Amino acid sequence: MSSEWQNGFLDRLQQHTKWDSWTLYKMNYEITKMQLIPDFTELQAPKYLPQLQPLAHQVEAAETVINRMNGKAILADEVGLGKTIEAGLILKEYLLRGLVKRALILAPASLINQWIEELTMKFHIPATAYKKNVQIERHDVLIMSMDTAKKSPHRERIYAQDYDIIIIDEAHRLKNHKTQVYDFVQGLKKKFCLLLTATPIQNDILEIFYLISLLKPGHLGNYEAFQATFSTNEHADFLKDLVNQVMVRNRRDDTGIEWTSRRVQIVPVQFTEAEREVYDMLSTLEITEPFLRMTLQKEMCSSKEATALTLTKMLDAGVQVEALLNKVMALDVNAKAEKAVEIIEQAKDKVILFTEYRASQLYLQWYLHTKGITSVLFNGKFNKSKRDYMKQLFRDRAQVLIATEAGGEGINLQFCHHVINYDLPWNPMKLEQRIGRVHRLGQEHDVHIYNLAIVNTIEERILERLHTKIDVFEQVIGDLDAILTNLKGAGNHAFTANSSVFTSILSGE
Amino acid sequence: MHSQQIHQYLRQFFLESNCAILQDTIDYLTVQLTGEIDKKIMNRPFYWQYIEATNSEPAPATITCITNPAENSIGGVKVHFGSPILHRIFHATRELGSYVQLYETVDDSLGQIILTPWLAINYKVSYCCDCTKETLYSLGINLLTGVMKENFQDSIAIRDLDIEPADHIFHVQPIIKPLRGVERLNAAIQAIIAQEDHKWADEAWRRWQRDQRVLDYFYEDIEEKPEHYVLEKKALAERYTAKIKVDIVNGGVFYLL
Repeated sequence: MSSEWQNGFLDRLQQHTKWDSWTLYKMNYEITKMQLIPDFTELQAPKYLPQLQPLAHQVEAAETVINRMNGKAILADEVGLGKTIEAGLILKEYLLRGLVKRALILAPASLINQWIEELTMKFHIPATAYKKNVQIERHDVLIMSMDTAKKSPHRERIYAQDYDIIIIDEAHRLKNHKTQVYDFVQGLKKKFCLLLTATPIQNDILEIFYLISLLKPGHLGNYEAFQATFSTNEHADFLKDLVNQVMVRNRRDDTGIEWTSRRVQIVPVQFTEAEREVYDMLSTLEITEPFLRMTLQKEMCSSKEATALTLTKMLDAGVQVEALLNKVMALDVNAKAEKAVEIIEQAKDKVILFTEYRASQLYLQWYLHTKGITSVLFNGKFNKSKRDYMKQLFRDRAQVLIATEAGGEGINLQFCHHVINYDLPWNPMKLEQRIGRVHRLGQEHDVHIYNLAIVNTIEERILERLHTKIDVFEQVIGDLDAILTNLKGAGNHAFTANSSVFTSILSGE
Repeated sequence: MHSQQIHQYLRQFFLESNCAILQDTIDYLTVQLTGEIDKKIMNRPFYWQYIEATNSEPAPATITCITNPAENSIGGVKVHFGSPILHRIFHATRELGSYVQLYETVDDSLGQIILTPWLAINYKVSYCCDCTKETLYSLGINLLTGVMKENFQDSIAIRDLDIEPADHIFHVQPIIKPLRGVERLNAAIQAIIAQEDHKWADEAWRRWQRDQRVLDYFYEDIEEKPEHYVLEKKALAERYTAKIKVDIVNGGVFYLL
């Protein structure tokens, strides 16, 4: 109990200071009563944020994190369900309850301004972006990029502070324990901690181990115990239970919001004879690095331009591939590109096409042009104003957007509802991020997704791997919305599936 | 707190703190602030530093507080529960409503009246671990007899009280000195808290021990515990240590019938 009040009281008894007004005295008592936190569990923040109107699943997530997870959790909602709102609610709640005075938020550089805007406008939490000359001890809520934070001298400056809560956006960047950023976050004291990511597992089950070990070391055992217990699928259910003790994940279907459905199909493509011949030659090429062969195979499934680029580099490095290169350059038909055009013409609507290769991107723009189809290019490395400009061009002028990268936090294109995955990535979460550009709050149409895959090539293996990874994700994290369909089940016919069909295929029902 | 309550609250606050209300409609209030209130609620310390440093004539702000959330046609600051300016006004209320000395006003037809001195203190008690709860206690002590009462504020809020005693009123001087009264009430609140059920603290302790075991398991085979272990252990202690905080909201001397 502080004696501050007592001193003021004494002052007045000795007539050094005037007494206060009875009305203000009563008002003080009344507002104290009104702002009282009457119990341990009920959320107070919504009362203070009448303008916010959070969705039911967001409030529930905040309650779960505070009441059941004691303030340490992974927020893993699917893309576009408002993880930032959930984090804001939790932060606000702790600030109101006086349990947090100082907060550190780590986010990708491109999202810092958005965080500041949301916290100040929606949550009335004054937040500051970190810059070199910012006196960090003066700011209670500080936002900075992970890339800055992990480096000297910023790292040391942050370590010298005492934060009550650490919030990390796009936390899948912490999946690898050997990185500098992992090491940095490990060195932070985490009284309360929120990790935000839609994709807590991208490739490997160990990623969730490292993520959770950062949040709550020991929750999944130590490395050896984890490996021994969970490296096989045998205990997947048990692992899922453990993960769910520290993770909140809302899916679109759980939100009570009417979502348009996803119509996902795998579109098998047959190589022309000439393409097949080249592909087979690439597959039997004498090279020492298997990885390089895989790259060539993947590129050949995309375009001769992409393949030629790599072959030219090999040639420059002294590898004898001249004859092969000539054969590649002589190809005159790209079967996959023809298929893409067919889909675009049938759609008679805006289409986003994703390719893995810059060379294919340029080729496709040229090819679409010869077919009288307008297109704009999009690249994940564009800055914000260029992105906005390309988005506007796409909306107003062009039928097709040809993108090389979803650019995780990139653009939102709800006005479009056809997505062609011209090339397939190895990582299913990349597909999910791509689809998430169009299938999000505000989309009014069913979303059509076409996954192109060339029969009897490496792309079939990629599909298999994608299925396996989706399996792991679903066993440990929970169901995923449809992002693929089953090539084997589909045979040579295009196959349409909605999420329930998809899930049942994967779970073998 | 709905918009009409806020409107009423603001009006009362500005009147009580001697700010001139220039306009008062159903949707908004326009107020000429005094220098004192400007400093407390406008959040512009640099302006006031400048005025004081240069010895200039201050120009306290005129503000329009819009209490109807649907009103968008006029300029001003939207005031709703949770908005930063209301938060600062609440804070100012706290500073300006902490200490009173009051005398009950009694109908003079009752003849010569004797008023008894009471000391009242309103306490806010916060119970904190990884979550929090707060309770308000209003205690009063009779400064003649030492008798104590709970829910004191509710029993006096409805009475007519004035800052000066009326002419026909005789008030007895305290036998127990007010400062001594403060000590007795402080002891009383401690005793009240000590008698409460502190299951919440036991539960926090259990959560702490459980998390500590998980942590120990992670570093089980490591002889020399790394810094991360120490750090996490400290974080657990900060998160789960049960604390009870007692704050005085306000208090005063009341001469009552």
